[in-house]
Amino acid sequence: MPHSYQARAMNCKEVEERHILEGYLLDRLSEPEREEFEKHYFECGSCFSQLQTGLALQAELQHRPAMPARARGASLRRTWVWAPVFAAMLLLFSAGIWWYTAQKRQPSQQVASSPPKTSPEVPVQAKPPSMAAPSLEELARVEPPAYTEIVLRGAEDEAQETFHKAMQFYVKGDYAHAIPGVRAAAKASPRTASFNFYLGACYLLAGQTDPAIVSFRQIVSLGDPAYSESAHFYLAKAYLRKREVTAAEDELQKTVQLHGSLESEAAEILRQLRK
Amino acid sequence: MDLPSATSAGELRGLAERIRQGDASAETELVHEFTHRIFVMGVVRTHDREAARELVQDVLMAVIGALRKGQLQDADKLAAFVHGTARNLINNQLRSASQRPPMEPLPEDLAQACRAEQLEDAERMRLVHQAIEGFGQEDRRILLMTLVEGHKPGEIAAALGLTSEVVRTRKLRAVKKVTDLIRKKMSRT
Repeated sequence: MPHSYQARAMNCKEVEERHILEGYLLDRLSEPEREEFEKHYFECGSCFSQLQTGLALQAELQHRPAMPARARGASLRRTWVWAPVFAAMLLLFSAGIWWYTAQKRQPSQQVASSPPKTSPEVPVQAKPPSMAAPSLEELARVEPPAYTEIVLRGAEDEAQETFHKAMQFYVKGDYAHAIPGVRAAAKASPRTASFNFYLGACYLLAGQTDPAIVSFRQIVSLGDPAYSESAHFYLAKAYLRKREVTAAEDELQKTVQLHGSLESEAAEILRQLRK
Repeated sequence: MDLPSATSAGELRGLAERIRQGDASAETELVHEFTHRIFVMGVVRTHDREAARELVQDVLMAVIGALRKGQLQDADKLAAFVHGTARNLINNQLRSASQRPPMEPLPEDLAQACRAEQLEDAERMRLVHQAIEGFGQEDRRILLMTLVEGHKPGEIAAALGLTSEVVRTRKLRAVKKVTDLIRKKMSRT
């Protein structure tokens, strides 16, 4: 396996002074910085111990309920802490509405395959009225794509069964726990667009932006028209979350050009970005 | 000041050579030395602890395979070699997403050593949970705003009515305190 090592070694003092450890954990370092730091901690026991502690602290704090802010503006992203709760409530509500309408429309058979969409007929998460232009964080907010359980008449293959089991977590809003099963299904059946699409959605909703981008790119390369528009749209959301505005605009443009159900939402985000 | 890792540079150099000569205990030592580092790197780069666990085994297998064949030309660069292998495999996985071909699994004795190392991860999480409980509200807030919300010391200072230097010092002190606690408790087990 070829290796190229151009990265220069970092030292402990630099790690501390440049807040490298935090930057690394938050995925904010440039690729050369990341390489330098990794090379350093593969040899430095002290920095590695602190990194392990930092990673464990980060994981623990992420799962704690939000703490009250002591001062105005203390938690600039507090809304994100509650996003999974809102998302889960919205999803349950959407699922109920969808189930009701589907029962009325198709009493004898469930839909076998429906491209995902953000349900325009369902009220989405209420946003406080604001005269100010939305922030990048607000524009990056993601509604969970609606999921319709597919009921086939024949026996399910193993990948489908794994996928359906994992999606039980998804419908409950537990995206992180849905990932292993959905990923296993996508691994077993890499050309099934729905597996890759929901894998991307799970990653995105669980806050794992980079793997989400990989999954949505995979959908785009598969060229399945049922998922192309959604893949471009959610790719845009992922790039917004990474604050890569140009890439996000590009994906939004592609969404608009497909003239599907997400056209107006994508156009509105584009308009806000260009303000 | 750079502190040495658990295994000195000289021992690492010897490790590569011993593996080339077929010393099975050297392979176990390599697993102990690098499992945590590869795992942390995998978690940070993939944001997926399960995927990182799978990657640890793949990376170790690739490294051990290469060392057995004497493919590491400069034995002084064993750590860099492991890091490079980990980086390449992680990047391949991120690029090819779900299409990663299955790798040859680690032999059972090494896989067991690897799992034992990973059990420490659960113990570390328990200790961190306990340590956070012992922190005051303000220290917890500083850690949360730094490690989860990603604010700079100046922003945190402004929000909490402190100085940047105080925020920086308290953050470093808190991380060090937890690191020391983990080191102390886990060295006893």
